[in-house]
Amino acid sequence: MDQGPVTPSASPPAASLPPPSPTSSWKLAPDIAALTQGLIVSGFSDLPTGRALLLTIADPTTPDQGSGAWLRTLNRVAPVTSATPPESKGGQQRATALAFTSAGLAKLGLTDTTLASFLAPFREGMVQEDRLRRLGDRRSGQWLDTVIPGGPAWSGKTAVKPQAAKLVKAYEVVRTLALDVIETPLTVHAILLLYTPDDKTADDWTGEVTTALLPHGVTVVRSLGLDLSVEKAGYSREHFGFADGLSQPTPYDVHGAVLQNGTAVVTPDPVQGVPLGEVMLGYLNGHQEVAPGPVVPGDLAGNPDPRPADAGLLPHPQAQGFYDFGQNGSYMVVRELRQDVAAFWQSMDENAAAISKADPANSEHITADWLAERVFGRNKDGNLLCPGGQYMAPDPLGAPATDFLFLARDGQGLGCPLGAHLRRANPRDTLAPSLDQGPTLLAAANNHRILRRGRKYGPKIADPRKDDRVDRGLLFMALNTDIARQFEFVQQTWLLNANFATLYQEVDPLVGPAGRMTVPEDPLRRTLQVKTFIKLAGGDYFFLPSLPALRYLALL
Amino acid sequence: MRQTTLCVPLEVKPESASRLSALIEQLKAQEDTGLAGLQTNFGRVIRDIPVLHFMSISVFTSPNYDPTFILEANFDGPPGVFWGQFEAAFAAWSRDVLRCCKVPLDDDADLYNAVTAAGSTAPVAPYFEARTHWPSVFHHGNRGMTRDRILAEAALFVAVRDELDDPNRHEPSPYRATQPAQVHQRLRAKLLPAYAWLDQPAPERIPAVQRAADLIRFVLFVVVLLFILTLPGVIFAAIAPAMIYITVTILLALGILGGIFTLRKPLPGTGIATQFDLLAFLIKQAPYIAGYVLVATLLVLPVDLAFRALFAWMGYGVPHTFWIALWRVTRAVLMGLFSLIVVGPLIILWLRYLERRDSAQDAPPIEDLVLRDMARTEDWIAQNHMGSIVLIKPGILRTAIIRAGHLGLGLLLRLTATDGYLGSMRTVHFAHWAFLNNGSRLLFFSNFDQSWGAYLDDFIEKAHVGLTLAWGTGVGFPTTRFLLFDGASHGRQFKNWALASRAVSRFWYSAYPDLTVNQIERNNRIADGLHRAQLTDTEAALWIKDL
Repeated sequence: MDQGPVTPSASPPAASLPPPSPTSSWKLAPDIAALTQGLIVSGFSDLPTGRALLLTIADPTTPDQGSGAWLRTLNRVAPVTSATPPESKGGQQRATALAFTSAGLAKLGLTDTTLASFLAPFREGMVQEDRLRRLGDRRSGQWLDTVIPGGPAWSGKTAVKPQAAKLVKAYEVVRTLALDVIETPLTVHAILLLYTPDDKTADDWTGEVTTALLPHGVTVVRSLGLDLSVEKAGYSREHFGFADGLSQPTPYDVHGAVLQNGTAVVTPDPVQGVPLGEVMLGYLNGHQEVAPGPVVPGDLAGNPDPRPADAGLLPHPQAQGFYDFGQNGSYMVVRELRQDVAAFWQSMDENAAAISKADPANSEHITADWLAERVFGRNKDGNLLCPGGQYMAPDPLGAPATDFLFLARDGQGLGCPLGAHLRRANPRDTLAPSLDQGPTLLAAANNHRILRRGRKYGPKIADPRKDDRVDRGLLFMALNTDIARQFEFVQQTWLLNANFATLYQEVDPLVGPAGRMTVPEDPLRRTLQVKTFIKLAGGDYFFLPSLPALRYLALL
Repeated sequence: MRQTTLCVPLEVKPESASRLSALIEQLKAQEDTGLAGLQTNFGRVIRDIPVLHFMSISVFTSPNYDPTFILEANFDGPPGVFWGQFEAAFAAWSRDVLRCCKVPLDDDADLYNAVTAAGSTAPVAPYFEARTHWPSVFHHGNRGMTRDRILAEAALFVAVRDELDDPNRHEPSPYRATQPAQVHQRLRAKLLPAYAWLDQPAPERIPAVQRAADLIRFVLFVVVLLFILTLPGVIFAAIAPAMIYITVTILLALGILGGIFTLRKPLPGTGIATQFDLLAFLIKQAPYIAGYVLVATLLVLPVDLAFRALFAWMGYGVPHTFWIALWRVTRAVLMGLFSLIVVGPLIILWLRYLERRDSAQDAPPIEDLVLRDMARTEDWIAQNHMGSIVLIKPGILRTAIIRAGHLGLGLLLRLTATDGYLGSMRTVHFAHWAFLNNGSRLLFFSNFDQSWGAYLDDFIEKAHVGLTLAWGTGVGFPTTRFLLFDGASHGRQFKNWALASRAVSRFWYSAYPDLTVNQIERNNRIADGLHRAQLTDTEAALWIKDL
């Protein structure tokens, strides 16, 4: 059980922001790290700037050189970084990560057999009518208020395949299913993430990459800053002003693939532990099965194809004659989330005023900041809200503590409200109906974790209460191996669940649409009326290949 | 209030299966109007079938049997009232449906022909009633809450919320800076004019008579089951000297246990760790074992006394005095119970033998088009629906286990699931199992909160032991161990298996689309508080937390 100390609100723990802590203290065993993209083990926090380049592959690309030619070029100007820790003390000078949408992999020349071996959500793409309904983006052919006007600017546009030559059977009453064809202005086939020490390097490098790819018909259709903007030597704040990127799942692996301080982590961390197979394909996952990944054929038109073996892919254990294309890769969910900072703080002001009007005698403590903390569940420095107006004390290294549980400490949400973003995004043991069920529910919740690698884009707002009409937000990126059970579950069953915990007709106050938020207090709860603060501007599901898989693609 | 769960499975003429699905889609298009989740949807069903909680209409298809139409209904009161309302609402449509179904081969054929004849106006409900199947196990969430009460208390909740949060109030709120008991008083006074029913005491959800009957039925089931299992022991103990009986029993048990021990290991690649601890579970049952001896003795005692008296009257032996009879019967029951250490392990050994030879279906075929249809109909409201049919593994032991298991589970649920929830599962409104086609297929229907994936994850993560027990006799179920272990813990494999057994819920109706089981219980606690004219400070402090 966690019973970490709490500090009274009167004396916040750190004068400024806490000192940095190693954001990824876990590593992969060296032989695996050499085959894996660095993004899986690290958010590259030493490199505070960067660019996310959304790429479109023209059709056809330089056919004489093969559809993978641009990857060979890219390998010269921006080689994808491995998970092997940098040797120099100062860390990497640059880092790169690369992932593809389903349509992108088709452009690269993967066969239909291979494409069919990917997870259904990836194959269909995020922009599919039933999926968008579950994710809270679109309903009955209409974009919802949590999406920018007119719909997202980009997606993989993985069109639902027309039923090719469907067999009509005898006696069939032919139904015409009205398919909701969803278009986005831009089509994205790949996302290239460049991490740099400063903006100048990012700009120069982006130019270099753009120029190098252009002859291959691969164009950068959208570029977003990747900003960590570390204030003093501490955590990054997201645009609303709160410490971000805290509390990640920490993987373990019974076969010793995960290392921490040089020793194998074979048992789960009591609070944050998830099997490695939750974030990386080819390892045991939360259902104690090997997370399944895609395969590529070992033959080409009946003749043996040397390319999978040349690239370093291993034979697939189940599918005879196929090679494991997924091992050491992952699926990455990308959502460009535009933030309306002024709307957020104006709304907090309005709610503080309304509460004070309704309850002048007992509401001196309720300010816009106090309410914003309830929306997030932490204070601006990232420390958990605890009952009695207190905050959880930072860990011994000075970083916000993340190993807490809710049930015994704050079962009713008198500190951190039940509907706070932090609590909905990872309820830990919140959903247990009784104390003795806490461990079961914590274990259940840990089957629905995602490894977040997002960064903010756009400049910091000058006055958080004044709309400057500048595009800013979060490029949400999350790694998982079972998109439906992990990312989509978090979004649908926790964040946007109108009946989360014991709440009714309210969803996540931060990422959901305008509506109500309950803040438990003794004796009677308070209610906020929040607005829509965050809107989807684009996104899709990507596949983040292993390094051998990237080599295979480059051979195509 | 009594509630009923039933289903009507009808075999469909294969040539008319597609037509039937189209008919169901047509009905859905006609009734499920407006934006889903709003009151206007299913307006006619809400008005014309007021006893109805949930209803589904689907067509199951499989390579193993002809298409099967199934109507599932969960409603208040006895079936007669429901069928009357159903007739009034859906007679014409139902007649077209029945015309797509096969003529039954038994005596119901006349009724079928009368109902489906050209131009017939004979009522359809009697045919549905005649073909009704009753559940082998069912669960009623929020037990004892009628549909009208659920809706009335939900409206009350919203009224309470609006009163507390009234945005048009210009003065400081009278509900702030005051004691919970005063908040209760004031709210009650404010709401009484519009909700006059608050002035009557809250109706009892489960009458004491019903509870007592549930208890007696379950105890009888356990006693009879144990008695049957221990009967060989009872007889053996009666004819063999005690020492020999005990020695033989122990030796046999050790031999069988040794056999089980060698087979205890999971099959390669099928072992799944679980937090469930069998030994601790058994130790907790010790008081019940003592209870069994007592009840079984009391039941058998009069039999013994009567038989001895009968024999004595016929001239054989002397009648037992009460104390001798008590001693002999208790001894027989106890001795018989002792034989469980042979019978129990023997069954387990037999089962384990079978389990090691079962084949699990790793990748049951699922049509893309069917998946698309399922996705299209799901995740519109707070609840979802699933219907599934699986084939049952053959064999005497499997048949005995599933029949006795379902009977026992059904009686146990009646006894224990009275607080609105299904054990650790807190999202199930109405669910049931039923045997079809002379017990060769197992039908499962559930009306639950959240998405299908979340519902199955709930099972996998919290109730995999119970689920493996209940569904493990299905053909192709993921490999089980000792009836309880592994099985449903193979999350992805289990989900695939369950998915492949599903049918598209083409027509599905919920009378309260945005209320979860949890919220109905919460509304009920609030309403119960408001029924009472006064709460103590302690009661009020607890009550106010739900507002």
